[in-house]
Amino acid sequence: MSTRIDPTLAVDLRKFGKAEDWNECFHCGNCTATCPLSETGFLFPRKSIRNIQMGLKDKISTGTEPWLCYYCGDCSDTCPRDANPGELMMTLRRYLTSVYDWTGLSKKFYTSKSWEFSAIVFFFALVVALFVFFLPPSQNLFNGNNQLLINEQGGVMINSLVDGIGDTQFVQLIEYGDWTMALIVASLLISNIIRMWYKVILNDKSIKISFFAYIKEFWRLITNFLVQPKFSKCDKKTYWVGHFLLMSGYTIMFTVIVVFLKWFQTEEVFDWYHPQRLLGYYATFGLLAFLIYTFIGRIKATDQKFKYSHGTDWLFIVMLFLTTVTGILIHIFRVAGMPLATYYIYVLHLAVLVPMILVEVPFSKWSHLAYRPFAIYFANLKKTALAKQN
Amino acid sequence: MEEPRIGVYVCWCGTNIAKMVDVEAVAAKVGTLPNVVVAQNYKYMCSDPGQDLIIKDIKEHNLNRIVVSACSPRIHELTFRKAITNAGLNPYMFEMANIREHVSWVHSDKDEATQKAVDLVTAAVHRIRFHEPLDSRSVEINPATLVLGGGISGITAALEIADAGKKVFLIEKSDKLGGQLKDMDLIHPHMYSAQQLITPKIKRVINHPSIGLFLESEVDEIFGYVGNFETKVKDKNGKEIELKFGNIIVATGLKSFNPSVIPNYGYGTLPNVVTSGEFEQMLLNGKIETKDGKEPKNVAIIHCVGSRNLEYHPYCSRTCCMTALKYANQVRSALPQSNIFELYADMRAFGKDCEEFYADTSRKNVMFLMFDQKNDLPKIKKASSDNCDMIIDVNEKLSGEAVEVPADLVILMTGMEAHDNAKDVAHTVGVSLCGNQFFIEKHPKLDPVATTTDGVYIVGSCQAPKDIPDAISQAKAACARILATICYGSVEVETTTAVVNEDVCCGCQTCVKVCPYSAVSYDEEKRVSVVNEILCKGCGTCGSGCPTGAIRSRHFTDQQILSQIEGLLSLTVKEV
Repeated sequence: MSTRIDPTLAVDLRKFGKAEDWNECFHCGNCTATCPLSETGFLFPRKSIRNIQMGLKDKISTGTEPWLCYYCGDCSDTCPRDANPGELMMTLRRYLTSVYDWTGLSKKFYTSKSWEFSAIVFFFALVVALFVFFLPPSQNLFNGNNQLLINEQGGVMINSLVDGIGDTQFVQLIEYGDWTMALIVASLLISNIIRMWYKVILNDKSIKISFFAYIKEFWRLITNFLVQPKFSKCDKKTYWVGHFLLMSGYTIMFTVIVVFLKWFQTEEVFDWYHPQRLLGYYATFGLLAFLIYTFIGRIKATDQKFKYSHGTDWLFIVMLFLTTVTGILIHIFRVAGMPLATYYIYVLHLAVLVPMILVEVPFSKWSHLAYRPFAIYFANLKKTALAKQN
Repeated sequence: MEEPRIGVYVCWCGTNIAKMVDVEAVAAKVGTLPNVVVAQNYKYMCSDPGQDLIIKDIKEHNLNRIVVSACSPRIHELTFRKAITNAGLNPYMFEMANIREHVSWVHSDKDEATQKAVDLVTAAVHRIRFHEPLDSRSVEINPATLVLGGGISGITAALEIADAGKKVFLIEKSDKLGGQLKDMDLIHPHMYSAQQLITPKIKRVINHPSIGLFLESEVDEIFGYVGNFETKVKDKNGKEIELKFGNIIVATGLKSFNPSVIPNYGYGTLPNVVTSGEFEQMLLNGKIETKDGKEPKNVAIIHCVGSRNLEYHPYCSRTCCMTALKYANQVRSALPQSNIFELYADMRAFGKDCEEFYADTSRKNVMFLMFDQKNDLPKIKKASSDNCDMIIDVNEKLSGEAVEVPADLVILMTGMEAHDNAKDVAHTVGVSLCGNQFFIEKHPKLDPVATTTDGVYIVGSCQAPKDIPDAISQAKAACARILATICYGSVEVETTTAVVNEDVCCGCQTCVKVCPYSAVSYDEEKRVSVVNEILCKGCGTCGSGCPTGAIRSRHFTDQQILSQIEGLLSLTVKEV
């Protein structure tokens, strides 16, 4: 079966990444030889570059290779033609995210700054409006009854800053909000993963995968989601450490907010060694360490990994940074007993967090939390199926 | 014959020879041979002290024959001949035994290598006993020059010599000067206009007082030898004009390969498959269009058409890759929205500014697809849909994918091949042809414009496909050589020629038939063969063909060769 080549793809892809010199590649294969993750059957980046140059859209959308790369940048460092294979793989990940997404929003967000920015502003305004209209600040904050909102430890009773609703009901309400958000994100991601599964596995008529194989390889999904064992095989270990700090920090935060909000967002301020606070501190540390490292990296732009920052890369770390900083401020104001400041910063925190999650997780950079483990899972299913057939 | 007094000199060549051959043992061994008066060894015989050593010994020991056992005679025979001439000996009283290329560089056992060196030097000693003094001769040079071919090479050569005030006869078989260049638009990589390059030169040739221009003319036969050639040229009116000249520059160029013999490309049946020559014409006319006058949306350029494929021509035509990139650039500027595909086998971007040109072109949204030139050519077929006119099936090498390339216009980068009459031209001017029908130069590295026939030079692409700067360099190089001989006024010719013993010659004319240089003719009156000593190169073919032994090659007599063989076998045979 011949495939029709498509010269327009390479042009379209320029919007998904900053490296524009792919035609520089003369296919020496140095990048593939350097990469510790490339292996027989799943060779990259050279083959991926060729697919782009020739516009083999089907090859690209049914392949998993871009997700198997963690962008250490060794290939770009050693490329004799400065063709930036590393950034190319990054570009392909962005492109694939838009290919899997049935809503078409992902493509809009990646290729148009105004679309992405408008979406963020919209959700920001929505959260602020919900608070203004339905959960305005308590009268006690303005009529000198501040002390009613301070607990025995001198901290702010965070769930009592709104009138007409009890503290348990307030947490419950916020939790419902979290669940709604998580549900939207999960259903989008899951539907897109089904599309990915269709393209990568079902579309490939050359292999047959048994149900048993799906079960047997399932553990890879979990380990690659939680600790990224493949990433740790890259020669530059710092990237894995940084990523692990961020990922573990964020996973902890996300879990306590969505699942254990009642345990996490308490009226009482616990001692510093209380697990609630220790977990929070660890997560904050992880997030901050990663963010500072990444900000410096992207501003200096000397490491291959950080050399070609796409608009969405910046937006992601800026949003995450604002979320983290507002989260830290909530804690400080709460502990310091500043109820009005706590209220405002709480609203601001949610107004940043909600658009970040709703835009980044299903449609943009953060979607890789699902696509990467699934790609590795699918790749291994294919690998075992092929090994069996031969 | 005077008693031979032989001096033998064994060279170390630094460690080149000495590390594998026991040079002292060789010298000691051959020192014992009859007639050997002196046998020495020295670090570098070719150095001034080395040559002085020979000169001193000649005078001191009254030597009359010298054997140097060192490198190849191609490198230093002339050096030593000159040295012994300085010492008063005839230059032919010299023999060289090659113990470097033939011994030390190719053997790994020192004892055996030393033995072989002794054998070779012994053979030389045996041979040199029978050497005879030969006189060198020189001939006068006619200052006029004949240039065959009015392309860029011929024009350049003609102007170069004419500008030095010497007469040139420029013969061009077509009715126009300018060769391939006159049919071109722009020239890679700097995008000069070909017309602007060639037109002023053509004008100068036409108006030059020292150039006799013969258009629509051809030369059938050339007589004579270096310095004194003559021919009759037929002009367009059929009038024969006699020309006399001292040197010949062959600049007959080449022609385009005809791609209709390649079935995969459908040239001749698919209307929108054109050759690079035809596309160049489109560019000159200022419009890139398909047969029905439409703008092509997809333009495919196929490289190596007829080149680098054993079925057609094994060699690389050198200029097509860059011309193909030039087309990509020209199509990109003329049709900015078009898709351009370069189907190539290997991108050959040698030469100044060419790699940069390639890099620059690759940034202009041109898709490069690699195919297997040896076994798997792309196949062009008519498309069934309205999207495009043709589909090219390519097994793309770098991706390993079988792909379809849409095309509305396909440009075949036709390679270059020798003219059909290359053999006739070669015969007329007395040069040899290589397997690809290109003319052979005297030495591929050291003498690339001269030929084995003195006074005949080959320039431009009749020697092999080449680009404009190379062709012009060659033309000017040949002119430098010719002007040097014209300035000197005479030229030394080979003395190691064949000579006929008329008493023994039976007139069978075998020698006339076998001589590759047309140097032997038959004297009807005397009924014997006659050697033109100026044309004779002393190759010895006639001598070995002669059934009666009437033809003798000077310096390669039977006696000399047989005694050399005798010497070669004498030691080894004795020891076995």
